[in-house]
Amino acid sequence: MAKDNVVVIGGGPCGIEVSRNLRDMGYTPILLEQQSELGGHLRRWDRLFPEGVEARKVLKELTGDLKGVKWFTDVNIESIQKSRKGYTVNVDTGMSFETKALVLTTGFKLFPAENKQEYGYNIYERVITNADLEQFFKTRKDSRIQNPKTIGFVHCVGSRDEKACNRQCSKVCCATAVKQASEIKELFPDATVYCFYMDLRLFGRSYEDMYLNAQRKYGVRFIRGRVSEVSEDIDGKLYVKAEDTLLGKPMKIKMDLLVLMTGILPGDSTQPFSEMLKIPTGEDGFFTPKDTILEPCVAKESGLFIAGACTGPKTIPETISEARATAIQVHKYLS
Amino acid sequence: MIDFGYTLSKSGTLRIDTLDDSRFKALHKLEPDAYKCIGCGSCTASCSAGVFTELSLRKILLSMQRGDEKQYLNQLQSCMLCGKCMMVCPRGINTRHLILSICKICSIEK
Amino acid sequence: MRERFLIGFDPFVLPFMIGMAFVLTYCIVGLIRVILQLSKADRRKLAASLFKPANAWRNLRDMFCDCLLHVKLWKRNPRLGYMHSAIAFGWFMIIVLGHIETFIFVPKKAGLFYYPIFFRYFMQMDNYSLRGSFFFFAMDFFLLIIMSGILLAMYKRIRSRFFGMRRTTRLSLTDRIGLYSLWAIFPLRWIAEGFTAGIAGGSFMTIPINMLLKNIMSNPENITVAWWLYSIALGTFMIALPFSRYMHIPAEILLIPMKNAGLKVYHPRKGFALAQIYTCPSCGVCIDACPMSASRQNLKDTTVYLVRQIKRNNARRMNAMTDKCLMCGKCQEVCQIALQSYDIRMRIRERATYNLELDHGYLDSYNPTLAKSKVLYYAGCMSSLTPVTGRSVRKLLDVARIDWTQMDPEGGVCCGRPLILAGRRKEAARMIEKNTSIIESSGASILLVSCAICYRVFKEEYELKGIRVMHYTEYFNELMEEGRLKLNRGALRYAYHDPCDLGRGCGIYEEPREALSRVGIIAPAEKERAMSVCCGGSVGSLTLSQEDRIPITQASVQNMLYSKPDRIVTACPLCHKTYARYSPVPVVDFAEALCDGLDRKG
Repeated sequence: MAKDNVVVIGGGPCGIEVSRNLRDMGYTPILLEQQSELGGHLRRWDRLFPEGVEARKVLKELTGDLKGVKWFTDVNIESIQKSRKGYTVNVDTGMSFETKALVLTTGFKLFPAENKQEYGYNIYERVITNADLEQFFKTRKDSRIQNPKTIGFVHCVGSRDEKACNRQCSKVCCATAVKQASEIKELFPDATVYCFYMDLRLFGRSYEDMYLNAQRKYGVRFIRGRVSEVSEDIDGKLYVKAEDTLLGKPMKIKMDLLVLMTGILPGDSTQPFSEMLKIPTGEDGFFTPKDTILEPCVAKESGLFIAGACTGPKTIPETISEARATAIQVHKYLS
Repeated sequence: MIDFGYTLSKSGTLRIDTLDDSRFKALHKLEPDAYKCIGCGSCTASCSAGVFTELSLRKILLSMQRGDEKQYLNQLQSCMLCGKCMMVCPRGINTRHLILSICKICSIEK
Repeated sequence: MRERFLIGFDPFVLPFMIGMAFVLTYCIVGLIRVILQLSKADRRKLAASLFKPANAWRNLRDMFCDCLLHVKLWKRNPRLGYMHSAIAFGWFMIIVLGHIETFIFVPKKAGLFYYPIFFRYFMQMDNYSLRGSFFFFAMDFFLLIIMSGILLAMYKRIRSRFFGMRRTTRLSLTDRIGLYSLWAIFPLRWIAEGFTAGIAGGSFMTIPINMLLKNIMSNPENITVAWWLYSIALGTFMIALPFSRYMHIPAEILLIPMKNAGLKVYHPRKGFALAQIYTCPSCGVCIDACPMSASRQNLKDTTVYLVRQIKRNNARRMNAMTDKCLMCGKCQEVCQIALQSYDIRMRIRERATYNLELDHGYLDSYNPTLAKSKVLYYAGCMSSLTPVTGRSVRKLLDVARIDWTQMDPEGGVCCGRPLILAGRRKEAARMIEKNTSIIESSGASILLVSCAICYRVFKEEYELKGIRVMHYTEYFNELMEEGRLKLNRGALRYAYHDPCDLGRGCGIYEEPREALSRVGIIAPAEKERAMSVCCGGSVGSLTLSQEDRIPITQASVQNMLYSKPDRIVTACPLCHKTYARYSPVPVVDFAEALCDGLDRKG
């Protein structure tokens, strides 16, 4: 007996994994993605912490087996109607889908680094973001990275910052910074690498080893102090101002490259969906589930499920587990 | 006391349980955000007066919280109140009001 | 006309007379107090100005236009203007006409205060003359005008929006007593004159009411009751007057010559300031104007309430309200009596005492060596947080082939305005001195400033000999006018924000707009120029927390988005940083916007 359709909106790792699991349970998932390829932010990343698994491999694993999943890319949602039976999703290509259960996996966006003007992204030549650096790791091409001798990583750019309108911690950037600091040191062994942090929030299993390796193996220097401003001289060298709060001394360091660890914000579609489907959002802009402890993937409206980074910053393994849990919740709801 | 021919130098240990933090409490009353500081050092790093002196607002605030600000208070006198620290504070503390409030509460004994 | 009573007195005039005596004594004592509080120099200045014919004429004109006709209110909202001038001018005319009547018909009674007021009670028409009925008609006419004003005033209490005001002042107890007795005076006068209309004569207002209520009104016993009530209302109003907002009626007569003499506020509640405080009519126009009114909790801290607290000498509230203020100066701009709230607040701040004195002695050893050039560019402390500003300024200077040097490439001495705004003027002196010596020894002829806050202090507090202080909006506009800076026009729509210190503070409104119109299209904000809304990031406020500033900024951004611009342009790094956080459209610096015109092909 053929089971129901389930519409999943958002084709990142979470949406893909929800769809695959629903398919395995006999449903026909319909996966809708706005961009021209599936995979979301994972497509932009080179390697994943803590062990440095290649993002490409993970993505291949996820997208390699989509038989039975009806997926569409370059699709924008026009409107969603709620009826007694469930939801009708209308998209801009003219198609519309009936579904009893709707899963939103709309993900996140990175903080636009140019909004923190004092760090000089898009103003100074040699300031890049964490996403730019991953791209460089993948392609080894970036005109801004010219055999740098001194490299700085600025933690908490657009997170834990009232002035950036995001008070919350983005959770994954500390680990990413430690990973990227080690990686860039591998590429440029002569370089001195600094990490400027307020608090180091590395929480997962074996993350501490990653931190330890960054110190012992790669000699990354951790400075407890937030970068307050960056200036540039005529040669394009950067001057970074921060206080070494452990030593109690303000310092000014000349840099060849500065990497801004941009934080995680709710995706641009979060607000429209929140209005369209009456999903409450928190002060931080992420979707609020029915119960943050016991029902983290279920929205207040019946038949509506929310999973992945649209409910807050998450690592890939957390997202995958949540996707699978969501599939089970959907199944329970439909049977 | 028996003279052993040498003296013990004063202990460097801070007994924060016995130090008097009443001035910090008074400060907190005037500026409720005084507790919000996470000591990131942005204020100190961008300080206009800090180019010329050793002014560190972070240090002054933290030492006040511990009841041990005496040695740092004279630093505050170099403040130009320009407000840069207010602009960079990630916790959104009104640092100018914090400084003015400290000026009201504390004085330097001569 | 003939007198009805030979003695020309009735006990009912007593409440009026007591009130009148009280209010006159109070005002004379107050006047002497204010004059004595002035410094000798100010007193001389005031006296001299009173006898200068041009000034005397100005005083008279201002008194007539401001006190009676409320010309400024007409401009603000015709309904509000009509309401006020109907009551003020109408009442004035009734009093004047009453005196003329007395002078014409019973000159020997002209010395009695109450006679012109209760003329209709004491006098009776025996034969109709044209002159007599003219007065009857004129009195009724102005009574009608006043009554229409009173009706509007009552409606204003219910729906202030009809008069263009979102919010009105919450009245104090004495204000209420004054208000209700004022409302009562004119209907009571109408009724009282209605009573006597049958005997003494009347016109189109008084005769009909006499006829309509013939039964009550023809009973002579009721006549004195009505006149008693009218007199009591007058008496109550005058006794409440010095303690209510109606004190503005006599006080404005003093304020106008003081203002025209060019006096300055030297103390928050003495002399000139005191005259201003008593002249505040508590109209509440400043409540809507205040950028802090974006959140309800701040309404009670607006200027009208500050004035009330100053009157009461409540030091705690006075200081708290003053320290919270953004010092944007908008309340002063909309104020009908141009109450110098900025100066009054500055004087309050300057009186605050601190245990810890600031000391900038360390600046003595700071002597930067600057390359000699024509233009000295002072970027200011905040500019390092908005690097685009400095970069764009430097680019434009180079393109225009200007010989320039930056005064503070690696941070310099603060201009001193933030410290002055905190009331610590004395402590800012050393910084001002240091900057002055650096600027004067640089050999530059133009000091270029890209920050509105710095610009104002350089203009107001510095004495830079032979050096022209220019804000970059003025300077680049001039370069473009002279053809030294050529930019190409594009299709981008710019909404220009007038920074408080540049616009209201220094009166620069046109130059930035002229310059911007050469590179794009100006998309006007809803309120702009002198009515511009503070961004909320001001260093003027000493106590407002980040959280409390957010609604102010959001409201200010909304104001800028009025004509759906592509960019918001600011000419102050503080406004820039503040707006950038909450604006849905890109916020760019003035110089950055001009650079758009550089990159374009003509």
